[in-house]
Amino acid sequence: MHIMEGFLPHPWWEIWFGLSLPVVAYGVYRMNKMIKDSRETLPLLAVAGAFVFVLSSLKLPSVTGSCSHPTGTGMGAILFGPWITSVLAVIVLVYQAVFLAHGGLTTLGANTFSMGIAGPTVGYLVYKAATKARLHLYLSVFLAATLADWATYLVTSIQLALAFPSATGTITSFEAFAAVFAITQIPLAIVEGVVTALMFKYIVALRSDVLLRMNVVTQSTIKRLKEAMS
Amino acid sequence: MHDILDDYAHSNALRETSPHLKLLLGIGCILISVSSTTPVAPLFVALTLSLAILVLAKIPGRIYSRLLLVPLSFALISAVVVAFMHGAGQPLYSMQLFGTTFSLREDGAELAILLISRTFGGMCSLFFIALTTPMIEIFATLKSLHIPESVIELSMMIYRYIFVFLDQASRIHCAQVMRLGDARARSSLTSFAMLSSVLFLRSWEQGERLIVAMDSRCYDGKLGLMEEENRAAPRQIIAVALYLIATATISVLSRDISLM
Repeated sequence: MHIMEGFLPHPWWEIWFGLSLPVVAYGVYRMNKMIKDSRETLPLLAVAGAFVFVLSSLKLPSVTGSCSHPTGTGMGAILFGPWITSVLAVIVLVYQAVFLAHGGLTTLGANTFSMGIAGPTVGYLVYKAATKARLHLYLSVFLAATLADWATYLVTSIQLALAFPSATGTITSFEAFAAVFAITQIPLAIVEGVVTALMFKYIVALRSDVLLRMNVVTQSTIKRLKEAMS
Repeated sequence: MHDILDDYAHSNALRETSPHLKLLLGIGCILISVSSTTPVAPLFVALTLSLAILVLAKIPGRIYSRLLLVPLSFALISAVVVAFMHGAGQPLYSMQLFGTTFSLREDGAELAILLISRTFGGMCSLFFIALTTPMIEIFATLKSLHIPESVIELSMMIYRYIFVFLDQASRIHCAQVMRLGDARARSSLTSFAMLSSVLFLRSWEQGERLIVAMDSRCYDGKLGLMEEENRAAPRQIIAVALYLIATATISVLSRDISLM
């Protein structure tokens, strides 16, 4: 759900830049600290960012027949946490704007807020809560990715509604935007949730050490999942 | 499968022009488009920059026209919502849907047209930057703007690996299609999950190898960037300045024009 270049009027695009900037700046601070601690983080972050870009440039098999792309932010949030994901998201969004003509430069702030901050934060919190509630790993991943996408889509609708309130107020305008985008976004988010959960299944089967190293899962969970598989 | 604009950025006719100047022109036009209150200036920007892309940068018209279709879908859907939700004045058109009456009013229609033209002006300016300026030169410009070193470093590495992974993804996709991996909704879902997980694992391993490769070349947290000096000629600077002033003037002069 990218807002296209030129769609957000003054003063809204500046406001969203202002809201996103401190979060991203703190993300950069966190990232610099992480790089100082272990130098091998930067290349891994880089390949993760490239992966998110490539994933988002692929077309998802879509139920409604519309052209739809996964966001990959839920995945990033689970692996790296919301702060660093916001830095990755800014870079990926600039590339999407420049290489694929998705999104834009003045709307970068708003898109970063919806896709790089709101979505990953929700995804991260949901994943943490679900692990604490001892839900099955794949179910937690599914919930995190799906809810992250829905959060993104709701925030985008709010952004558009605030910028273009209807005659009867912001709420009706929000309902209209949310209803129009719901047709594609609600099924799309579920598909992305399923895909992300299946991805985790393959990763657990082939390279579970990656997940252990990023502190995403515990040793005992992996052991249980592997036993269930065999 | 992919239309990566970057391919053209390396081979267009404006390749040797100063990147600072091209960025200034593109970003200046984006700002003028987004802040103008009537469709006149954005459409002027869209028209003139499209001409610049086609004539000065010599980008093939077939490719450029296909690019312009990308922003259309989002712009149209959102503009229709805005048109029906917004404004007062004479209803131009009404329809019944789910028991409620939706009517298109003068204000709403005008706003929708303004939004579509702003999007077009902005997208043309963005395409101008994307099609004429290679990413490496944008990095060099960012460096001189004092963006944190680690962010530029990360962007450059991401940039490098985007192309590696796009290549791998399209190969895996071809292999899956040849084996009827997309025959049904269910199997295309599994195929997509398999593609993304294999891609993730491969990229992770690539990242681990990259650490070793960079360590063995004494990587100290800074990648050198060779910056070729392409200084702008005075007459180019004057031309861009005149163009930006003219566009801004058009935007200011046309601020009271109303379509209806």
